[in-house]
Amino acid sequence: MMSQLRRSFLTLLSGRWRPASTCSQLFQDCDGGGGLVLHSQCTDVYQNLALEDWIDANVDLQRRHVLLLWRNQPAVVIGRHQNPWTECNLPVMRTAGIPLARRRSGGGTVYHDLGNLNLTFFASKKAYDRQRNLKVVTDALRRLRPQLDVQATDRFDILLNGRYKISGTASRLCRATSYHHCTLLHSADRSALSSVLSPSCPGILSNATPSVPSPVANLRDHAPSLRLEELMDGLEQQYNAEFGLGAPPALVDPTDESAFPGISSMAAELRRWDWTFGRTPKFSLDAELRLLDEQTGARRPARLRLEVRGGRMDSCRLDVPADWLPERLSLALSDVLLGERFCPFRAAAAVCTLLRSESGALHARLRNLGDAVVSAMG
Amino acid sequence: MAMRAALRCLSANFSPRLPQLSPAARSSAARLLWRSGSPRTLSSTSALSAALKFTDKHEWVRVDGGVGVVGISSYAQEALGDVVYCGLPEVGQRLEQMEEFGALESVKAASELYSPLTGEVTEINTELAENPGLVNKDCYAEGWLIKMTIEKPEELDSLMDQAAYDSFLKSLEE
Repeated sequence: MMSQLRRSFLTLLSGRWRPASTCSQLFQDCDGGGGLVLHSQCTDVYQNLALEDWIDANVDLQRRHVLLLWRNQPAVVIGRHQNPWTECNLPVMRTAGIPLARRRSGGGTVYHDLGNLNLTFFASKKAYDRQRNLKVVTDALRRLRPQLDVQATDRFDILLNGRYKISGTASRLCRATSYHHCTLLHSADRSALSSVLSPSCPGILSNATPSVPSPVANLRDHAPSLRLEELMDGLEQQYNAEFGLGAPPALVDPTDESAFPGISSMAAELRRWDWTFGRTPKFSLDAELRLLDEQTGARRPARLRLEVRGGRMDSCRLDVPADWLPERLSLALSDVLLGERFCPFRAAAAVCTLLRSESGALHARLRNLGDAVVSAMG
Repeated sequence: MAMRAALRCLSANFSPRLPQLSPAARSSAARLLWRSGSPRTLSSTSALSAALKFTDKHEWVRVDGGVGVVGISSYAQEALGDVVYCGLPEVGQRLEQMEEFGALESVKAASELYSPLTGEVTEINTELAENPGLVNKDCYAEGWLIKMTIEKPEELDSLMDQAAYDSFLKSLEE
């Protein structure tokens, strides 16, 4: 997949594309104002998000507009103030090797793959205008395929046929700069999308920003002849027309530390657990546990109550029938979880440590309880 | 299956929760007040607003018993639209003047917050977790964001008073 993608970029490069030797050269070229269209060669979600941060922090956006086009290998991207355990199915993602990223902009959760095109519009905070940016997209689509009925909404979505969402928006406003990024579904894998965008575990209570589900569509289903390259070309031309620019698009490689000094540490920051999970707004979990009495085969009711701050278990209460498991053991289990990450692997490791100190019938029941606690974490 | 897939895609794209526009009445009233040169939205804040100091990023700080109370201005909350989440720092965090200390989320936008002073966060407004809309409703009183120590009182002198901030807002509109 990667190599195919590289080939297609190289093909483009041999035409009207130009490589970016150094990005400072690029930005100097458009000194005096104007703008740039950049195309990321990389399909790693963290590197691309880091490139957004880098441009926002290092490029003088007061007199120029920049458009960045980028795509990612399958990934789930949550909004800045969201809870990954309620927004996406982490067990499914782990099995499929799909990474989770938290972006710095607001809004809801999205699934990315190579069939989804991302556009980031950089501007000064003063020139921040999301409807103008979305107009670039809708005008380009109408020009490419006049039969497409596309409309931007008050909520900054783009709807196809008045109903199907093909694009969603999020943005970040800094001291003097801004960026607005939006997705554009061309040919994304909708079955993967539906399987990863379901909650990891029930019973979470949180004030985190929730996503609002909407019916979505791929552009390719409504305009089968519209190829991704043609779409990107059309968007670039429309952007240049809207902002009065004329420069050809430039290829950039966000893994190139010499072109973007400091970008590796920006990407590393976005990969850290402390950012993706640790920045989750505090939440609580109230889950019923399924315990089985191994002698009678009967279900025994039990309950797990957790408070999670900064992604770590801050308080933990286990209500387990005392005739089934002595209270000292359920308390000991609560104790080993305190301060641990809200993560089934960390919890399982903590439970294992505790299990070493017990044997016999109680060992089996404690294991049973431990398994139930671990599975409540998704 | 197709239907299920379609319904599930739902959260496929960036999409927050609340209707985006502030009630028309509120915003037009605020605008009127602001244009008439009085940014006070509530009479109860008039005594307080005299003591407010503003940054050019539209944060305000009020000195209250040696502690700085920090919030955002009416102009800022109106520009943001309905605030749906307040990302605030932990108590005890050290802040430099103009350092980022969190973000307010509204209509899918995260707007960075910048500290008006150097100091340490002593309290955050926990009401905002349940009711982030207080920032829109009452930005100078109940909708405060954080309290902080004032390590460098001279920094207060570099901030705008009410009259200077009003002129600043007028200059933005021109």
